[in-house]
Amino acid sequence: MVDDHPIDDLAAYALGSLGGTERGRVETHILACASCAADLRAYREVVGVLPLDLAPVPPPSDAWNAIREAAAKQRARGQQSRKAIVLPAWLRVARWPAMAAALVALLIWNVTLQRELVRRAPGPAPGPEVEALSRRPGRIVILAGSGGASARIFVAVDGGGHLAVSGLPRLPHERTYQLWFMRTGSPPVSGAAFGVDRHGRAWVKVSVPASLDNVHAIVITDEPAPGGARPTGKPLLDALPWR
Amino acid sequence: MRLGDDSALEALYVRYGGIVFTLALRIVGDPELAREVLQDTFLRSWEGRETYDPGRGRVPWWLMGIARNRAIDMLRSRTHHARLREQEQLQSSTYVDEPRDLEVGLRHVVTQALEGLSAAHREAIELAYYGGLTQAEIARHLAQPLGTVKSRTREAMERLRTLLQPIIDESIKPSGQDRG
Repeated sequence: MVDDHPIDDLAAYALGSLGGTERGRVETHILACASCAADLRAYREVVGVLPLDLAPVPPPSDAWNAIREAAAKQRARGQQSRKAIVLPAWLRVARWPAMAAALVALLIWNVTLQRELVRRAPGPAPGPEVEALSRRPGRIVILAGSGGASARIFVAVDGGGHLAVSGLPRLPHERTYQLWFMRTGSPPVSGAAFGVDRHGRAWVKVSVPASLDNVHAIVITDEPAPGGARPTGKPLLDALPWR
Repeated sequence: MRLGDDSALEALYVRYGGIVFTLALRIVGDPELAREVLQDTFLRSWEGRETYDPGRGRVPWWLMGIARNRAIDMLRSRTHHARLREQEQLQSSTYVDEPRDLEVGLRHVVTQALEGLSAAHREAIELAYYGGLTQAEIARHLAQPLGTVKSRTREAMERLRTLLQPIIDESIKPSGQDRG
């Protein structure tokens, strides 16, 4: 069953101009509505060409060198982490059976976890978008709170993020939940402001800071609507330190 | 690019570095911040190259999506009023015009299409896309009902879609060489 088509919101969504609750509504709707999904694709194509209207400004001449060096460092870090680890002799003998056992355990754990996620998943039933997210390289952060509230943030390596929340009470109109990335040496940055449905659930897109290196905690607070520049409320849900 | 070839990243930068920097500068209004956005965009595209999905759009649109999100993140770390002030300053400023050979035909049509919008429609698009404001924030800023702002945004996008879709389709058709 597809609810009312969010016709006015599709264009705003493509422009990245919707608040958390409306954004979640559009994302839920397009999973089940091919017509709106097609309209959204068309709007996205229009948005994609909008910058061509701007008179071009050449980037700084040394910008490419900085990018190349940073990319080289990234690659070096990646190679370093892939270097083979020298195993002790007893472990070398036992490694294949051990790996097979670990694989089976991992498989069982994964199936159990998937079932649990499906059982407890907030918002819409896991659809193609959730599956797509789970296949994208990135990470999942689990936020825990009191009273059975919990949340998960899916962060893809290209910076896209989604937040799934359950177990939070509905707030009055003048209040909103807000997700924060708490950074060391920098002010906290807001990832999303959102409300929850009557079941206490939400599924919202998250603005993830470019660098997560200095993020030491992720929290959800209750703030005056439409959200503030800094958290003022007590953390209702929080994640363990990032690393 | 998917194979992690340095020269592919360089080719991508040579072709799209200018438009990414231009977009970033339009949004953040500060060359140093725009440079940061430029660097983040190409590094993220480098890190996330395996997740690029041609079905969701061509490479330049993917890149500009990353750049726009990063630039808006930067904007959102400032106060709402500071952002509006910056947008007002940017609207009255001009950039150095250095024509490049990037999709000149498409650029011409995009410019014409945007010029064909009413001032109110164009304002709705610019505050949303470049200003990083939500529809509710735009409504408050313009002292207009939220429904009016949303309708205006949709009308503007529909108009642009009608004018631009044929040339967008045309630009995708020939070789698909931008894909991947």
